[in-house]
Amino acid sequence: MTDVTRLIDVVNRSLTGPVVEEQTFDLKHVAAGVQRVVAEYEIKAGKDHVVNLDADMADRVWAAAVDFLASCGVYSKDSGRVILFGREEIEQLVRHAPSQVAIGEGPDARIDMARTVEDPRPPLVMGGPIGSPVPNDLFVPVIRSYVQEPIVDVACGATVTSVAGQEIRTRSPLEILAAWEEIDLMRQARELAGRPGIATTGIMISVSDLGNLTASSSPAVLPNDMHTFGIISELKTNNDILNKLAHIQMIEGIVDPYANPIYGGLGGGVEGQAVLLAAELIALSVVFLADCLGTSPTHPLHFHDTGREIMTATSLAFQAVARNASLLTNLTITPVGGPGTKTLLYETIACAVMGTVSGQSRILGPRSATGVIPAHFSGLEARLMGEAVHAAARLDREEAVDIVQQGLSKYEHLLDTQPYGVAFPEVYDVATVEPRAEWLRMYEEVKEEAIGWGLPLDAVTTA
Amino acid sequence: MEAKWDALCRAINAGDPAAALAAARDALEDGESPLAVFVDCVEPCLADIGDRFGRLEVFLPELMLAADVVKGLQEELLPLLQAEDSQALGKGRVVIGTIFGDIHDIGKSIVAVLLSVNGYEVKDLGVGVPAKDLIAAAKDFDADLIAISALMMPSLPYVRDAIALVKENPDLVDRFLVIVGGGPVTREWAVDAGADGYADNAVGAVKEAALLMSEGASS
Repeated sequence: MTDVTRLIDVVNRSLTGPVVEEQTFDLKHVAAGVQRVVAEYEIKAGKDHVVNLDADMADRVWAAAVDFLASCGVYSKDSGRVILFGREEIEQLVRHAPSQVAIGEGPDARIDMARTVEDPRPPLVMGGPIGSPVPNDLFVPVIRSYVQEPIVDVACGATVTSVAGQEIRTRSPLEILAAWEEIDLMRQARELAGRPGIATTGIMISVSDLGNLTASSSPAVLPNDMHTFGIISELKTNNDILNKLAHIQMIEGIVDPYANPIYGGLGGGVEGQAVLLAAELIALSVVFLADCLGTSPTHPLHFHDTGREIMTATSLAFQAVARNASLLTNLTITPVGGPGTKTLLYETIACAVMGTVSGQSRILGPRSATGVIPAHFSGLEARLMGEAVHAAARLDREEAVDIVQQGLSKYEHLLDTQPYGVAFPEVYDVATVEPRAEWLRMYEEVKEEAIGWGLPLDAVTTA
Repeated sequence: MEAKWDALCRAINAGDPAAALAAARDALEDGESPLAVFVDCVEPCLADIGDRFGRLEVFLPELMLAADVVKGLQEELLPLLQAEDSQALGKGRVVIGTIFGDIHDIGKSIVAVLLSVNGYEVKDLGVGVPAKDLIAAAKDFDADLIAISALMMPSLPYVRDAIALVKENPDLVDRFLVIVGGGPVTREWAVDAGADGYADNAVGAVKEAALLMSEGASS
């Protein structure tokens, strides 16, 4: 929501903060800063289970993250300066961050509310292969396959792969045209699914500020749609990003930034990743004025967020935030598995259960096949994701531990084998936008298995 | 590795430049040649660190610190090497960058550091690098390899532009090899675009660079 005073304050800090060489920021501010607080706050992640059971440890991660962010700041690549907020400023700004936001309109209006650890209210379900490539001719049926699922609360935009038959070039007129096309195709999918008021995220094709700024003016963008943009890993920004932020502020849009820290990168291992992730979520609120905010932590070699180490760090970080703030957090599930594989379904269940009991307010995805294989996405996996979070909201963390472990045991050994599955037309009838029998059979079988693990999917109604 | 190199290898692993220089000087005083310091200790030590990153037993900060330590050793010891020994040590020179329009940094940085710890001289141009700037930097750096990262589909045409600037220029086509990678890049796309090499992650990039350099050396 619009806060020009805060925006100008952030911009001014980016123009007057301490001058730092970028490599020094990476090594001294981020890497050494994370190492310092991990040692000082004695951060240790549980080795035996992915879902954190230690409330005190989650609180220590929060304290470490605030301390780290106050000393590290956010680097502006354009000014070569660090945007710094002190610890008290961070704590005060987080206290005043939105704890609920209205999204969508009409019968599809929803309230995104902050959740606590083990909150019995399910997270909102954001369905779609966010930011992932879908050829233009499949775009509407693919997105429709998500929007038509009643359990999906928000439709997440894919990216078109061409415009007027040409490759899209960022920072060119083709990017602007592609951004408008993405918005229009999302509108078509919403209307065909009979849900014209469902909120969407966008504009995903637009890496630069150009397409984002112009297509935000499309009449197909609803006032309560979410304006999504990424920051640069780790803890960096540039004027393109701040331009997007300024524009979203001035059109009174919902600011929805995300940060995707790389596991094994500057944060190091599980403990450092947990602190870095918590700090980045806080930074999205404090520096990027988030209404809603999100993440998809990333494996450095296989690009998923469903592995044991990353999920352990994510559970700890989300619990740290949920116990100490009312931020509207989102976890994007990025599995390795693609449509037509049970791997995708197991990954989705494990990650959804972990995130739900850890206090996320929204779940997003799944961004199947790591989100890079064109058209390797379908609405059925989002149906399962939604059912899994609704079922997991009935669980406590101890119950979740075993279910997540059961899921992991099914796919952990396959994560580096790239089981990308098949493209949308092989798992859905493109004309009717209905899942094919074999894909439905896999879904039903995995559901039955998960019910056997103790996940009450049979108690969830989807209509 | 022989026990006599323990102190130096430990210093590299710890990211301690002073201890590494001291250990290297001790080795020289004990009669080791500068070449032996690199061939018998630094290279296998760095290769081990790279392998452990591939298994995620060590992480990017450790890689960066180790690479910095070795840079210090090179500055101290390379002037002492015979010219032919210097040449024998070099695996190759690499210019690397994320292409214009793309801001993804860390994945590219991991590739850069992993190449460094595997013996390549690397110039990292950062993110959002225009195609012509990649080529200009490759000329200035006298690079063997140009490594280009792109994680966003709308940036791929600029990667294709960069490859074309090399492959369609008679003066450059035999001078530089081009290796590409990143989320939307596939081997098929790389081949179609005319790249010499492709990798889908940092460990693969090091293997592909070694393959390309060995093919280049034998051709």
